Amino acid sequence: MHNSYLKQFKQNKIGMTGLIMFLFLSLLAIFAPVIAPHDPWDYSFECFLPPSIDHLLGTNDIGYDIFSELLWSLRTSIFFGISVGAIASTIGLLVGVSAAINGGLYDIIVMRIADALLAIPTIMVLILIAAYFKPSNIVLIIALSLIIWQTTARGARAQTLSLKSKLHIKAASNMGASTSYIMSKHILPELFPLFAMGFVTKVRIAVFMEAGLSFLGIFDPTTKSLGVMMNYAMRYLYLDVWYNWLLPTVLSLSMIIISLALISYAIEEIFDPRLRRDNIA
Amino acid sequence: MKKENSSSGRNLLSIYRIKYILSKRWVKIATVYLMTLFILLFINFILPRLLPGDVIIAMYSGQELLITDELYNELIVLHGLDKPLIEQFYTYITQLAHGDLGYSYVHRASTIDLIMKALPWTLLLVLSSFILSSIAGIILGVESSWRRGGRFDRLLLMFLLFIDGIPSLALGIMFLSVFSLYCGWFPTAGAITPYSDETGITYIIDVLWHLILPLSALTLSQLPGDYLLIRSSMLLTIREPFVLTARAKGIKERRIKYLHTARNAILPFFTRIGIRVVYVITGVLFIETIFAYPGLGLLTYEAISNRDLPLMQGIFTISVILVLLVNIIVDLSYKKIDPRIEYA
Repeated sequence: MHNSYLKQFKQNKIGMTGLIMFLFLSLLAIFAPVIAPHDPWDYSFECFLPPSIDHLLGTNDIGYDIFSELLWSLRTSIFFGISVGAIASTIGLLVGVSAAINGGLYDIIVMRIADALLAIPTIMVLILIAAYFKPSNIVLIIALSLIIWQTTARGARAQTLSLKSKLHIKAASNMGASTSYIMSKHILPELFPLFAMGFVTKVRIAVFMEAGLSFLGIFDPTTKSLGVMMNYAMRYLYLDVWYNWLLPTVLSLSMIIISLALISYAIEEIFDPRLRRDNIA
Repeated sequence: MKKENSSSGRNLLSIYRIKYILSKRWVKIATVYLMTLFILLFINFILPRLLPGDVIIAMYSGQELLITDELYNELIVLHGLDKPLIEQFYTYITQLAHGDLGYSYVHRASTIDLIMKALPWTLLLVLSSFILSSIAGIILGVESSWRRGGRFDRLLLMFLLFIDGIPSLALGIMFLSVFSLYCGWFPTAGAITPYSDETGITYIIDVLWHLILPLSALTLSQLPGDYLLIRSSMLLTIREPFVLTARAKGIKERRIKYLHTARNAILPFFTRIGIRVVYVITGVLFIETIFAYPGLGLLTYEAISNRDLPLMQGIFTISVILVLLVNIIVDLSYKKIDPRIEYA
């Protein structure tokens, strides 16, 4: 069933562009320790060096090599994004499916919590939690995942409910298939596109939140972050360092999010064929 | 619950009754509001008290504030920490009900005053960008879906998907560096020219001049979402038989487009207003910080750099209340927008 989704995704130009961009950025992030020419914590260089062969993007106000810093920040962003994406969409899937299967009060309570989470400004919660605890990426990842699972849960619940009443599932359960068998063979594979969609959207939210929070001054001091780089770069705008400091940072953040936006648009198009661009009915 | 259902008839009846009551629309909505308030309470009241260590130290350490014994005792009394938990909760709730959100020792002012001073600017920014992006999103979405597959549609879709990918943070920084710093067309900070004491028409022009850049950055970051939502909803509505009927009756194209199709396609847009408010709040936080616009966003930024927890909690409370208010308005007016909805 979902083999055909993969094939359709491969034919979708928007989606493949996004995927290639994202994979490229992820590779940069994974191999940051190998690619980066200098240690990102090494502040022994001269300040405000212009770009050169040794320092591809020059150095910043306290003598960090900007290019190495950028690669390590990319690593933080993508690690943060993928962890939140994986945790949040898994929570969403589990909650949604279990609500649909159990029904009853559990279903009602869980779905009302999900609705209530929609009305909470996520960023303010994260700011407060970071203020109570010491801001570490792990705490922020867990807190963010606990807030943004609800969209996937709603989708998973609705789809499981409609699948539950389908004939082939009824037939399977009448033939004595156990719930776990039906789940793994019939329900979960059908939920794959929804899970993928949730994953991509959540990675996108998380990457944005990580950069945004660190821009506002909430960041794990043990890691490099795009937001912190932006914040410092903005303080030295008058020194004409925007092209080698601010611009690359803003562009890399935008590239990650654009690639994810393209992927999620493509998944949506495949998921709901009525939205296709070439479908002129 | 399921097992109980099948075991006793009486229980089954009561559980179905509960389920029936809970499935009514207004009960559903009310439960969601209660849950939201509970989450608010959990984060503002319960969580800081669950943390290991002293609440006062946790809340006020790191600020530029010398905690003397006198001040410590004063703070204990202020928060009612010398009383049992139930009484603390009661104090908190009554204070909240009286609009008392705590005292910011960094600003030497009560939190609610600080917030109320900043709130009008944020509301100005949020409301105008909300209206602008909704109108632009609806018009572009309708026109684009009407020409689906055409060059206009494809170009606009690609362009807005691209804009959608640029986070509000990056958009704001780019706008600031290009239009204020490089071109010098707009001011770099603030909402009014300081010490100008302008009145009347010049004051309004001054405010608008300062508003343009943050407003356009915020609007542009909201627009793609509105556009994509309207466009996909339109694509689904265009296939409905009533559009064909309207066309067969010979109604003018523009009338069908806006009064027949868009009127129906707009419904999901209204249901999502409550959610979109949350996005706008997130966006406004960054935009205000970047443009040093004196609203709630900048206040939050200052609170973070000062580690001013009472202020952060106050802003959080106010933003949740704002979102809830918008949701209540949407829920109440939904019947007007979509008369087919049923109130149980």
